Amino acid sequence: MGSYHQQPGSNKGGQRRDGKRVAGKQAFPPPGSGGSEPEMRPRDLDFIPETVGGREPKPAGDHIHDRDRTGTAVGKPMALVDSNAKVTGQAWYGDDVRLKGEAIGKILRSPHHYARIKSIDTSRVEALPGVLAVATGEDAPNRFGVLPVTKDEHAMAVEKVRHVGDLVACVAAVDEATAIQALSLFDIEWELLEPVFDPKKGLEDHDEPIHWRGKYHLARTNVQKRVFQEFGDRSLVKTPHASSHGSWTMAGVHHGFTEPHAVVAHWDPNGRLQLYTPQQVPHYTHRALSTVLDVPMHQINVVRTFVGGGFGGKSDPFPHEMCAAILARKAGRPIRITFDREEVYWINRGRHPSHIDVKMTADEEGRISGFDIDALIDGGGFASFGHVTSYYNGVLATAPYELGSFHYTGARVWTNKPASGAMRGHGAVNTRCAVEVGLDEMAEQMAVDPIDLRLANLLPPHSRTISGFRITSNGMREALTRVREGSDWDNKFRQLPLGKGIGIGCGFFISGSGLPIHWDPKNFPHATVHIQVDMDGGVTVHTGAADIGQGSTTAVAQVVAEVLALPVEMIHVRSHESDTSPVDLGSYSSRVTFMNANAAIRAAIGIRDQLLKAAWEMLGYHPNVLVLNDRRIYYKHDPAIGVSYLQALHKAQEDTGALIARGAYRSPPMGGVHKGAAAGLAPAYSFSAYVAEVDVDVETGKVSCTNVWAAHDCGKALNPLAVRGQIIGSCHMGLGQVLSEKMVYGRTGHLQNANLLEYKIPSVHEMPHVEPIIVESSDPEGPFGAKEAGEGPLLPILPAVVNAVYDATGVRMRDLPLTPDVVYKGIQKHLKKTGVDDPLDLTPPTLTHGPLQKGLVERAKEHEVRDRLRQRSEDTSAYVNGVLFGFDPNIPLSEQVEGWREADEPLPEQLAELGFAGRAWLKKEQRHMEDDA
Amino acid sequence: MLMPPFELHHPKSVAEACELAGSLLEQGQAFDWVAGGTDVLPNYKWRINPKPHVISLAGIPDAFTLSANEIGCMVTLDTLSSSEIVHSLLREAASKVASSLIRKSATVGGNLCLDTRCFWYNQSEDWRRSIDWCHKADCGTGADCRVIPNQNTLCVATYQGDLAPNFMVLNASVLIVGPNGERTIELPSFYQLDGMKKNILEEGEFLLKVILPEDASQREGCYQKLRVRESWDFPEAGIAASWIPGQSETLQIASTALESIPKEHSEQIRQHLESNDGSIDIKSMSISIQKSVKPVNNTALPPRYRRSMVNTLTKRALKGIMKEN
Repeated sequence: MGSYHQQPGSNKGGQRRDGKRVAGKQAFPPPGSGGSEPEMRPRDLDFIPETVGGREPKPAGDHIHDRDRTGTAVGKPMALVDSNAKVTGQAWYGDDVRLKGEAIGKILRSPHHYARIKSIDTSRVEALPGVLAVATGEDAPNRFGVLPVTKDEHAMAVEKVRHVGDLVACVAAVDEATAIQALSLFDIEWELLEPVFDPKKGLEDHDEPIHWRGKYHLARTNVQKRVFQEFGDRSLVKTPHASSHGSWTMAGVHHGFTEPHAVVAHWDPNGRLQLYTPQQVPHYTHRALSTVLDVPMHQINVVRTFVGGGFGGKSDPFPHEMCAAILARKAGRPIRITFDREEVYWINRGRHPSHIDVKMTADEEGRISGFDIDALIDGGGFASFGHVTSYYNGVLATAPYELGSFHYTGARVWTNKPASGAMRGHGAVNTRCAVEVGLDEMAEQMAVDPIDLRLANLLPPHSRTISGFRITSNGMREALTRVREGSDWDNKFRQLPLGKGIGIGCGFFISGSGLPIHWDPKNFPHATVHIQVDMDGGVTVHTGAADIGQGSTTAVAQVVAEVLALPVEMIHVRSHESDTSPVDLGSYSSRVTFMNANAAIRAAIGIRDQLLKAAWEMLGYHPNVLVLNDRRIYYKHDPAIGVSYLQALHKAQEDTGALIARGAYRSPPMGGVHKGAAAGLAPAYSFSAYVAEVDVDVETGKVSCTNVWAAHDCGKALNPLAVRGQIIGSCHMGLGQVLSEKMVYGRTGHLQNANLLEYKIPSVHEMPHVEPIIVESSDPEGPFGAKEAGEGPLLPILPAVVNAVYDATGVRMRDLPLTPDVVYKGIQKHLKKTGVDDPLDLTPPTLTHGPLQKGLVERAKEHEVRDRLRQRSEDTSAYVNGVLFGFDPNIPLSEQVEGWREADEPLPEQLAELGFAGRAWLKKEQRHMEDDA
Repeated sequence: MLMPPFELHHPKSVAEACELAGSLLEQGQAFDWVAGGTDVLPNYKWRINPKPHVISLAGIPDAFTLSANEIGCMVTLDTLSSSEIVHSLLREAASKVASSLIRKSATVGGNLCLDTRCFWYNQSEDWRRSIDWCHKADCGTGADCRVIPNQNTLCVATYQGDLAPNFMVLNASVLIVGPNGERTIELPSFYQLDGMKKNILEEGEFLLKVILPEDASQREGCYQKLRVRESWDFPEAGIAASWIPGQSETLQIASTALESIPKEHSEQIRQHLESNDGSIDIKSMSISIQKSVKPVNNTALPPRYRRSMVNTLTKRALKGIMKEN
């Protein structure tokens, strides 16, 4: 079957059969875009939305980007564009960078939990042959930190070390053996200080707080951040129909990425710093280097290498990056520092060890009248992302359910341990687990199905949460419905034999932080993309977005290919160097696809418009009636009237050369005005629901997860293969946290398992069969409707497993991870309580629906209709949290309900009732203590 | 991680190996034997007792012996786990060691001579410095044991090999060779407290092969291993049992990963059979095995739990050999 050729003339060249040149013809063929596929492929109507004449269904309604669809790449499963480099070993990770004349840097680490450095004598180090440079904290006194409000780190310890493994000094030598030898030659005089390991102790006053925040320091405690948030009508919780109270202990977990940290620093002949690092957020490293080294940003080029896994663990600017730069400057040679696995655990930034207390209540109609959350989180030695984590532990629980009231107290304390930070599902994972298990418990009390309880309490699309978050698209209901069907839930729940269980859990996560960490310069975009198309037709996309394995480069290539109707192979994404990449705020908070792809679409539209204008000039047809399809532009009613992509391109380039366009994204104004209102704000949110099946060996306590049905609403799967991969990967990571992974701190406060043998990441044997279910709610502001799929899918697996263990055994577990000893202990306790001798005689729980069940099912059915109309914008009325309780969304709730609160500080009478973390509010900041004095 | 430097020797025969060992001893040079290297070399990288000389057994043909009754120290666990000629219990046990990748290198000799493990000891040099060392690797400081504080006379590091209890319940012996000749020892006597001494090997000696009695093939065996993950993990507790079906007096039970050496439990079995008129009561037998072990807190799972699991594992192993559900 023939079609229209891409490049007239192409390989026929300018030669006659006899080899002589044809007069007026070039001796070589003009650049072509045809290659081995010289003919235009037919339009792929299956991937063009029905709203613009294609066959792709749009059940969630039309989308602003529908008219930019060409059926080229979006929605098609494809291998990541950098996968060939990875599977052939050609991807260059941090430790693969080799520069001429490089030397090796090593870091001297603290052997003490908490100590003051009285003196450091480096003379013996410097005298060792082969040592090229030595540096200590004195070489870099400027502080840095990922958040501008909490800069509490130095390149190396200044005055004090704050945990075993903290950086004390560093040395560069001709080889690794010499550098290691040099580390033993530092002479340091220490003054040991009293360490703090227990976060509860961190709430108390201490002679020597780990950090000192001056007038903002909270008494003499080690509290780094305290949060109070209260919304709604608290009177609703006073006479609950059902309630749940769970006190949780969640161990700290680490990202467990494959590639250890590695960095190479080089001051080039012009005196500019070239820093090679596997960073999720190169821009923040760029800023921090400038601060620490006292060098303007334009004299630093941060080169992001391939990143061998990040998951949040490579998103802080790191002290070893500063050390490499300092050593390289001193030594006058490139310096490479590569971590051992133990050092990876010492720099940490994993999920916070947490004590979480969740009380929840429901009323006689099965409505959730209140969430009361108290989260005490163990920050370790530095602030890192902790300021944000302190909020996220509470506020990200304010959806997907409609709540009568919400009360949260959170505190993050410094302890003398490796610093916690951001990890996949940042701040939301632990509380989500506690909340979802609490819902299960309340469902049991009310004798209703827990899925129906959820379905009857969901916030609809285009609504506002109790905390003021703007919900746009919302696929929660579909996700719940599909996992229910897929897992055959109705024939299994509470009906399986002892040792076999099934459980449900939901998730809710931000799709890009609405407030950037750095908001200077004012109104600077969150993401910017530049596109350049030269005469060869290849499209070069410059972006600062860091591909950390999640496929962000592929997503950019796909959306540009989609808009321009070009094969993905013609899109070349350049994203490694800050010198050539426009600023992108980094790969965190699941923001890249949403923000960067939006910027890329805008840039691609800029190029497309130039091409269409050229085609208009050539064909005489207005762009409105022109079609872009596979390297060709033609009149929509007659494909014969058209030009190839290259012809249009060359026309557009007349007198101007390469086409240039840029696109940027900045999230719209959103949210409330209370303190902390920006925490958790996002231009869109993802929703997910998982059902997990487990086998529990009731004699040993060993839990195996066997099957997972995992539904995730990612708005629109730009690359369904990548989304499936993210869902399965999230399941793996979440299963690790719920079943086996923990950072073990022994009785002396030392991290006991800083290695991959004893830090127990699930192996392939522990992986269940995962059935990924993609839900597409088509977000109105997402690129082609897309939302995040990288972090949210982790959340539901934890509660789904914990709830399934209850279904299998009748025992509620609230210590994570559920290692065999923890489960065994729980079962033994339960046996004693119930008077049963043999665990094999345990009776698993059963369910006989109570009177409330019918009402919930009916309400859920009504809400299903409501949600469909709102999703498709057929119902555009206002909806705010509270409508379920009978309030009018058009009138401020505080005017409708006496006692409706929206508070960021506790009332004096509340102080006595606050939970563990809440007790931080009993302390005063130094500035107020001075007032008192 | 950088491997500390050492000189690697490749003797081609048992005699040459013994001569080399004797010569190094005379020179006062410390050395280790290495078979597959999956235990000793990671420890070297962590700077745990590295030596200036390492003698490889990989060039000694006798070390690769493999028959129903003789298994050389260089036979890999992968070979053992897929061999049709060895006892099925050994196949089962070998297949449960570590991961498939490690089993390709790890050997029978290495597993039997596995260094004892402890989370205060199996750490990097920086880490061990931060706890001011420990009794097992005190770096000349005379440091106390960190598991049982305030003493530095006993090391309670845990033996976590999988094969030893299985060889024990098949009544295996080991052939040891060294500069002063060879000797054959019943496997239970091969091990010797404490966690530092581990076994009776004298300086310069190595374990050449394991010898199984002719009647081993008549035995029915079962190995129960407790671990968090089904791959990689060392046993947190392990129970092997065997008998000649129907003959309760032939019952053998041995345990691992509970103390500093693997343990055979003939005394508990004898007492049990005496008090049960020669028959086996699985429940009480399991309890008596549980009572006979005293794990300490130095592996991934807490000792109290591991001890509780000895009961369950023994019960399952006994049911396994008796073909009960």
